[in-house]
Amino acid sequence: MNVYAETIVYLIMAVVSLLSVVAVYLAIVERDLIKAVIYSALQSGFYAVLYYLLMAPDIVLVYLPVAVGLIPGVLIVLISKTERWEKE
Amino acid sequence: MDAEFINTYLLLVTLTSLLANAIISIYGLFFKPHYTKKVIALTILSDTMNTFAIYLGYRTWVNGVNPRPPVLTSTPTEKSISEFTARAVDPLPQALVLTAVVIGLAVTLFLVFLGYILYTHYKTLDMREIKKLKG
Amino acid sequence: MRRITELAVILSLVLGVSVLLVLAASILLPGIEVRQLAFFYLYTTINPWFQNYTVNSPEAVTAIVWDYRGLDTLFETSVFYLALIAGLALARGLFSETPQGSFNEKTHGLTTIVKTVTRVTAPMIIAVGASIGLHGHLTPGGGFQGGATIAVIPLVFIVVYSTLFLIARGVTSNKMLVLRSIGLLGIGFTSIAAFLIGLAIGRFAYVFQNMPKPGAVVGLPADINGALISGTLWFFNLFEMIAVAAGFTIAFIILLLAGRGGSGGR
Repeated sequence: MNVYAETIVYLIMAVVSLLSVVAVYLAIVERDLIKAVIYSALQSGFYAVLYYLLMAPDIVLVYLPVAVGLIPGVLIVLISKTERWEKE
Repeated sequence: MDAEFINTYLLLVTLTSLLANAIISIYGLFFKPHYTKKVIALTILSDTMNTFAIYLGYRTWVNGVNPRPPVLTSTPTEKSISEFTARAVDPLPQALVLTAVVIGLAVTLFLVFLGYILYTHYKTLDMREIKKLKG
Repeated sequence: MRRITELAVILSLVLGVSVLLVLAASILLPGIEVRQLAFFYLYTTINPWFQNYTVNSPEAVTAIVWDYRGLDTLFETSVFYLALIAGLALARGLFSETPQGSFNEKTHGLTTIVKTVTRVTAPMIIAVGASIGLHGHLTPGGGFQGGATIAVIPLVFIVVYSTLFLIARGVTSNKMLVLRSIGLLGIGFTSIAAFLIGLAIGRFAYVFQNMPKPGAVVGLPADINGALISGTLWFFNLFEMIAVAAGFTIAFIILLLAGRGGSGGR
């Protein structure tokens, strides 16, 4: 069992970081800025899992409220006060 | 294929994904015209660089024993301290990233205020149009 | 000339990528051993047999943030302060300090269900944030983490209830400014606490000193009646938590007030 535990942890890390690549790509190409912010928050969630697996609980505690809560909230406020769509 | 090869491959997949994230976000930072999109790309880029730093402090498993967070959870005796130093990950990158995340939030707030000022002056946040307006 | 430049670029790219590959083989894969510097930090973070070097905190990250590299963190706090001040200076003139109208439970904010849930969860989040901040020297956490967690609450309240609610309840930007100044002053005084004690009793002591060091026997106590506070770390965490939470609350209040009844940015 212990032999496979290491590989399983690395496998979760690899899958989470591949999913974060998908989220980053969608966040950059998306024209609706609200959706882009939500994809960016999704990427932050994957990064938080990655930090936890990389044995950094301190960073998880500071990163979750900042990158999943505060930054998307502030950016959504900015979008609601300015414009929502990115033109071609 | 032995387990070590698979482990190395999976770790390099993680590293390459982070590199791809950095490249995509730099592309977004330079070539996407909208101001808010540039701010989003900047936050993703700084998060990716922080993750690189955390990754450099990681250490591998030894005989199926996982590395520990740099927090001593038992009473400090000779034995527990030597076990702690043998298994804990590097705390220095974590301490540096900790402050970088909070400063990143403050910088993002600054950029959001700047974007709002830009909008009240130019009535748009598209960088191409702002360049055309020149005023 | 152009061809020579392009050739030079390609050749240097090849050479650079091969250097990167060599580095990737030896450095980018994590090894069994940790760096010597990290070994020192881990070995001395709590060690009763090295009283002259230890911090007496089981949390190595907080020990590095506020003791080993405390001066760096002081300057990082000032960078954070300056970034926030720059943002607020930009927002000057976009908002009016006292918005028109008073808070009305019926017309402002979201539905009653959301408001009730927010009312119930808000004290819990503040309690969790305070716990993360004040136990920073024992468990994962610290001033930055606790402050960022508490700063979620004003944003949620502003979205759910409207800014007028916060202002009606006395959470104004001026009061938060005072609170943040208290936090920053506390950080400043804690950083010279050992120096002041040394000045008072006529002994040599350093600025930013925590535990007694060789040649400077003045130090703060590691525990009070057996409860570990790790000298200055507990105070630094407390004041940093106050400064971070209050600072972000100012920014959110001003951001959400911007453009509503202000002078319109002209």
